[in-house]
Amino acid sequence: MLAVMLREFRLILRRPALLGLVIVLPVVMLLALTGIFRAGIPTGMAVTVVDLDRSELSRSVTRMLDAAPEITVREQALSLSEARAQIVAGDTRGAIYMPEGLERDIIRGARPEIVIFYDNQHMSAGSMVARGARGAIDTALAGQRLSIRQGQGEAPVQATARIQPIPLQAHALFNPAFDYVHFLLAALVPTVLQIIAAAATAYAISLDFGPGRHLQVLARMADGVLPAMLGKILPYTLIFLLILGLSDIALYGWLGVPLRGSLILMATGAALFVVSVQLIGAAAFVLTRDMGRAASIIAVITAPAFGFMGLGFPGEAMSQLAQAWGALIPGTWYVQLRIDQSLRETPLDISVWSVVWLACIALLLGALVLLRLIRLRREIEATR
Amino acid sequence: MSDFLNALRAEIHGIFADRQVRLIILVALVIYALVYPYPYRAELLRDVPVVLVDLDRSTSSADLARQVTASEAVTLSHDAPDMVAAIRLVQERRAYGVLLIPEGFERALLRGSQSPVALYADASYFLMYQRVMQGAAVPLRQLGAEVEMGRLIAQGTAPDVAFAQVSPAALVEVPLFNPAAGYATYVLPAAFVLILQQTMLMGLALVATRREADNGHPVWRVLGRMGAWVALYALLLPVYLIVLPGLYGLPNLGNVPTVLMLSLPFVLATGLLAQCIAALFKRGEVVQVVLLAVGLPFFFLSGFAWPVEAIPPHLNWLAQIIPSTAAIDGLVRVSQMGAALPEIADRLWHLWALVAIFASLAVSVELLARPSTNADHQDG
Repeated sequence: MLAVMLREFRLILRRPALLGLVIVLPVVMLLALTGIFRAGIPTGMAVTVVDLDRSELSRSVTRMLDAAPEITVREQALSLSEARAQIVAGDTRGAIYMPEGLERDIIRGARPEIVIFYDNQHMSAGSMVARGARGAIDTALAGQRLSIRQGQGEAPVQATARIQPIPLQAHALFNPAFDYVHFLLAALVPTVLQIIAAAATAYAISLDFGPGRHLQVLARMADGVLPAMLGKILPYTLIFLLILGLSDIALYGWLGVPLRGSLILMATGAALFVVSVQLIGAAAFVLTRDMGRAASIIAVITAPAFGFMGLGFPGEAMSQLAQAWGALIPGTWYVQLRIDQSLRETPLDISVWSVVWLACIALLLGALVLLRLIRLRREIEATR
Repeated sequence: MSDFLNALRAEIHGIFADRQVRLIILVALVIYALVYPYPYRAELLRDVPVVLVDLDRSTSSADLARQVTASEAVTLSHDAPDMVAAIRLVQERRAYGVLLIPEGFERALLRGSQSPVALYADASYFLMYQRVMQGAAVPLRQLGAEVEMGRLIAQGTAPDVAFAQVSPAALVEVPLFNPAAGYATYVLPAAFVLILQQTMLMGLALVATRREADNGHPVWRVLGRMGAWVALYALLLPVYLIVLPGLYGLPNLGNVPTVLMLSLPFVLATGLLAQCIAALFKRGEVVQVVLLAVGLPFFFLSGFAWPVEAIPPHLNWLAQIIPSTAAIDGLVRVSQMGAALPEIADRLWHLWALVAIFASLAVSVELLARPSTNADHQDG
């Protein structure tokens, strides 16, 4: 087996295609993902203000809007249709409409409307724009309410307490800095690695186990088909674990994503994750004995896997069947384990189940590959 | 002209005669159409479970809990005696937030002073966090307004004056598109464009790697292939971008001619890019693995799910080389937001510019490859 492993390492160095797939490709992808999310939560998204009032109040609302970190007032429009066209064309992401007579009506107590329009087709950006605008307008209106109460002779402190009888103290649990970005990155890295590891393993195996290849030589070298397969797989396990480890050093060290859980559990999970993903690749190849078809199987399993992990749209809201399918994919459990052990500080007795499931998947896939290998060995013995 | 027709025929043959290419361009398209949208079928997040830790156990706190439960977004599904037990429920993923009503809540309210409550929302899931915050904040604000109004009225303020003083203006939020905030409506129109691009890149690059040297002028050869792609995708693309979203019940505001106008340079740019990728990586297996791996990064680079404002400028510049970046933006604006051609004209020109660049690259590849293939012929 060792002999096959050593041969494989030499093979990787000799073959640019293999070297590119197992080292250059994952590293470039991880750098690209890090680049995309490095800057953090988007700020300064453009909005239009449709200010038909042009009063002291409407100008102060505009100033408040511009001061909100999420948004920047880039355009002033004279009508709603003009503002809408700017949103449709993508020049801005939202519009704030202040009707004529706003200040007068507020002073009169007529409760005029201020309207926030936002582009909810681009939901992630749109909801952030709406949140920023809402906060800014609330602040401006609170100032208005305060000045009314102070005008009635209330002390500022008292007035502040009075206008908010039940203040809400909001806490972002597990993620106090609301650093969603690096958290997303920590989940995307395994997702992309899952695709590459499965496909690259299948490709490497195809080079020796494919039709017309000299499997007998390899089997003799390793003293059996099974050790030959292990010798093919393990070098890549080491390489992918190394890449995962380096990216984690970057994530948790350089980018400062908190790591609050058990390192041993994380490492065990990582090893089981890489092995089971590789076994997907191996199984896809030994079942089809054709790299093209194997790649298609791998593509169907791993390419849409991100959606089933429940990071964007949560798993609990999915149908049972979608949840079950997600549970069969190693990445789902590994990403859950990473989130649990890095951010959520989940107690071990809960988190260990992710590792148990990963082990089950690995065993299942291992058994599948083994069964095919036993048949393959019979074929080889028959030809001898 | 016969060079053109020969190349067109050869490309069509290359696509349909190869089982693997057929598998990718036709079968994979169908499978992804079924698998990819599957997680998002539920569309909306309703009644997210939240733990109630009521340390006050008063009429007012029960009232508050009732109002929060009545909201559409969240439901107070569990009662916990303390924060430790509540956090444990969240860690087990049985709940996604904790509403803590402190002891003395009612007393403080009756005394007329501020009476805060605390909301802990699970921030490891963005959408859950938003729903929990939204679901609890709205009823809380309402209750606060009622309390403030009650106090003003008790002081002798007229009810309508009190109302105006508590809330001097009505703040109305209008989502212009995707008004129900459906997740499928949000993500699928963009995802379908990307799936179309990735399967097309993969299939056509495979055809290119397996192509035997064909004769004719390089320009005619490339043009002939472009003709083949247009013919094939004139059938596939409308099914994928118009019929399929309809089957999933997604809104469609776009008019078909504008979608097709934008799709033409998208199909051409993608097909030409596939030629460049094939020339770069040469081996079919490698092309497939590379294209599988770049799918997700391409999606985030397109500036759709992750706002372009947050993508570093140099990466965003690189992203413009990928056809899906301009195509997703343009097509989503046309089909989901009803944009007319002038409003997305820059995306259209952008895609045509990509066609020009990739076409000249593809022709250069043909020119470079030609001497060797000729030599092969002479040797043979």
